[in-house]
This record gives sequence, C-alpha cells and structure tokens, in this order.
Amino acid sequence: MSHPPPPSAPPTPPAGPVIHDAWTLPSNDNVNPYAFSVELDGQWFLQKGKMIAFYGQVDFQGIGAGRLDHLIAENFHSPMHAADWVVAQGRGKMLLADRSYDINSYRLDDGNLTIRSGNLLAFEPGLSLKQSIIPGFLTLIGTGTFVAASNGAVHFVEPPIRVDPQALVGWADCPSPCHHYDHAYLRGVLGGVRAMTGIGGASGEEHQYEFVGAGQVLLQSTESVLAERATGAGPEPGT
Amino acid sequence: MAFLRLQGTRVLAVDLAGDAVRAKNGAMVAYDGEMTFKKMTGGGEGLRGLMTRRITGEAMAVMEVKGHGTCYFADRATEINLVRLDGEKLFVEASNLLVTETSLRTGTTFTGLRGASQGNGLFTTTVEGTGQAAILSDGPAIVLRVTAQTPLVVDPGAYVAHTGGLRQQLQTAVGWRTLVGEGSGESFQIRFEGDGLVYVQPSERITVGGQL
Repeated sequence: MSHPPPPSAPPTPPAGPVIHDAWTLPSNDNVNPYAFSVELDGQWFLQKGKMIAFYGQVDFQGIGAGRLDHLIAENFHSPMHAADWVVAQGRGKMLLADRSYDINSYRLDDGNLTIRSGNLLAFEPGLSLKQSIIPGFLTLIGTGTFVAASNGAVHFVEPPIRVDPQALVGWADCPSPCHHYDHAYLRGVLGGVRAMTGIGGASGEEHQYEFVGAGQVLLQSTESVLAERATGAGPEPGT
Repeated sequence: MAFLRLQGTRVLAVDLAGDAVRAKNGAMVAYDGEMTFKKMTGGGEGLRGLMTRRITGEAMAVMEVKGHGTCYFADRATEINLVRLDGEKLFVEASNLLVTETSLRTGTTFTGLRGASQGNGLFTTTVEGTGQAAILSDGPAIVLRVTAQTPLVVDPGAYVAHTGGLRQQLQTAVGWRTLVGEGSGESFQIRFEGDGLVYVQPSERITVGGQL
C-alpha cells in the first residue's frame, strides 16, 4: 500500500524579517504591536490618514458625501466629526497604524465604551459612533470591533479610581465619570495664590477624573495625549 | 567581511575585521576596538555621484567606518531593519538608509510623482549588489509581498523602501471635495504592481499635502 508523500514541510523562512502577503496577513488582528490588519468585506469607518497600505479593491469616501450620506443617520451620529472620518468600502486586507503608537482592537458585545477622540482609529459598522457629553470623547454603542491607539500599552483598571486626565484613554460601562479637584491643596491664602497664579509650584496633579460604579477604565502608560480632534464645546448654558 | 546584526531593534552592531562599511553620518553611538571614521562627500559615489546628488537633492551624508572590532549605530531610537540583497536593487529614501556594506553600490534614481507626493523630492536612492543594508523606519517595518495577482496600495507617508521588479504609480482621487476639505483623506496613494517586496512603517510622515 502506497501512501502519498507527506506534505512537504513549509520552507523555513530565511533569516530576517517576516514577509507578509495578501494571504498571510492576519484577519482582523494585529500584525505587530503597532499595526492592525483589517479583513475588509463591506465597510469600515476610519479616521483620516490611518490607513498605511492595502491589498485588494478598496475605495475611500468621505462620510456624508454622495451615496454614503445615509451612514450618518445609521452609524455615525456625530456630524461634527464627519470631516475627520472616511468610509473604506470594498474587499481586501487593509493595514492601519498611527504614528507607531501601540494599536489594540477591542470587541464590544452589545456594550458601550467612551474613548478619547484622538485615540480611536477605526470601527465596524455594527457599532454606532456618538459624541460623548464630555468634550473630546466619543462613545461607541453596539456590537462589533474597534481599533484604538495608545501611547504605550493600555491598562484596564476597575473603579473606584481617580485617574490623571492625560493618561485616560477611555472607559466602558462606567456611569459616572466626574472631575475631582484636590481641595486640600487649594486651602489657605498660599493655596489661593497657587491656585490663581501657579506660583509656588503646581504639582499638576490637582485635577483628576473620578470613576465610581461598575465598569472598566482604560489607561495609557504615558501622559502625552494623542493630538486632539476638535469635538466642539458642550451646549451653551441655558439651552 | 563586515557582519551586521541587530542588538535589540533600535541598535545595529557591525563586526569589522579590518574592512569597512558605509554609514549615515553621525549615526555611531559606541564602538569597541579600533575604528576610523571618514566623511565621504557625495555618498562615496565619486564626482559624478556627488553632482547627481547635489542636483537631485537626494543628499546623503555618509561616512566610511573602518577598523577592527564592533561598531554600534542608532538614529533617534527609530527601528532598524536588515535587508539582505542578492543582486537585486533596493529603493530607499536617503534619510532612511543607515548602513550599507561596501560590496553594495548606491546611486540615485528618478521616482516620478511619488516622491513629490511624499515630500521627499523626485528622486530616491538605490542600493545594488550583494550584501546587507540596514534601513530605518518609524516603528518596525512591515514587509509586504507584491505579486502579479495581488498588487499593493501604500500610503505615501508610510512607504519606506522596496525591492524587486515593481512598477509604481501614483493614484489620486483628488476632486473638488478634497479642495473644500471634505476629501476622503486618502487621496494620494502609490500602487505597486509586479513582483517584489515593499517595506511600510506603522506611521505616516507629514507629506506635502498635509495629513492626507
């Protein structure tokens, strides 16, 4: 009885960098800590300028332009951000990256997550994007995957916690993010002078965001924030 | 024979035994043994090379490092990628080239519109021959294979280098919407067709058109 020859072992890759092609690129996973590969079959939302390369047939269109106008009503409830986002449409593998910052993908299952607008790179149409009531943050609601960048690795912490505003990437399910000021620091005449003028040495740690309740808070391991996207101010007082 | 190896991902160690390598001017961070550093005007390509580089703006400040021992190179903590060439040609921006073995010839070539869209000028550097070269990228470079069936489209700001027989063309999707600021944000792309490898970095340098 003859057997077919065993399948030959895959050729050992030559010493050196891994070479990716259209088939070996991961599907909806990280290529390395700094780049994410999207298996595109349909639509994805991207922040402008985060696509670095793609295989296949992909079109990029501004949101709200022409035939994609209806997306604003369905998935993209933030006209203020429409100019910063594009829709990638087609089939293929697409690589996303952002200034060689750490990139991670997260999956929401009928959940909600709020994230600093500059950190969000891309999301699936299963999610819908809304502006958070906290300026500079966006809220994603629904089911699907999204991709976010952070300067340094992301850490998940559970409330109750107070975090430095610059280190905050986002939070999931927490009902009550609020400001916390270190009041003891501002007491007395000297404290008043410090608070008003910064003379006498402000530590830079007088102000934190406070989270209580159930949920998770995402922190990055640096205090330098990604470039803010203009998100507009809150509603005018009295409206 | 010079031997290039990575020490971590951001430092390149070169073992030398009396021979030489060419390196980006000022990229040496430490050495062990006896080394001499000699500035090479015009990238060590002779008078003709010097003139070409002056005219094309693809200036390359290069030094020749010669000696016995180990020399360490690094540049602004950017990632270093080793490329082994076996007679093929590597196209890379002069500013992204860290070290080449002396068995490799460097030169300049016309890239057409791609260079202009990248803000790197109309010319690029070629490295040819057999040996190793070290190239720099902002974040570890991803090597993507292009075949006849799978052409690749790259953002000009993320392009670092390529090898092999590739045709490149700039594809634009500039319309009136781009001009009024409602463009797709991915208006300029380089399309690679043929057979070869493209190195992309997980970050985008600012191009002439701004954040495209």
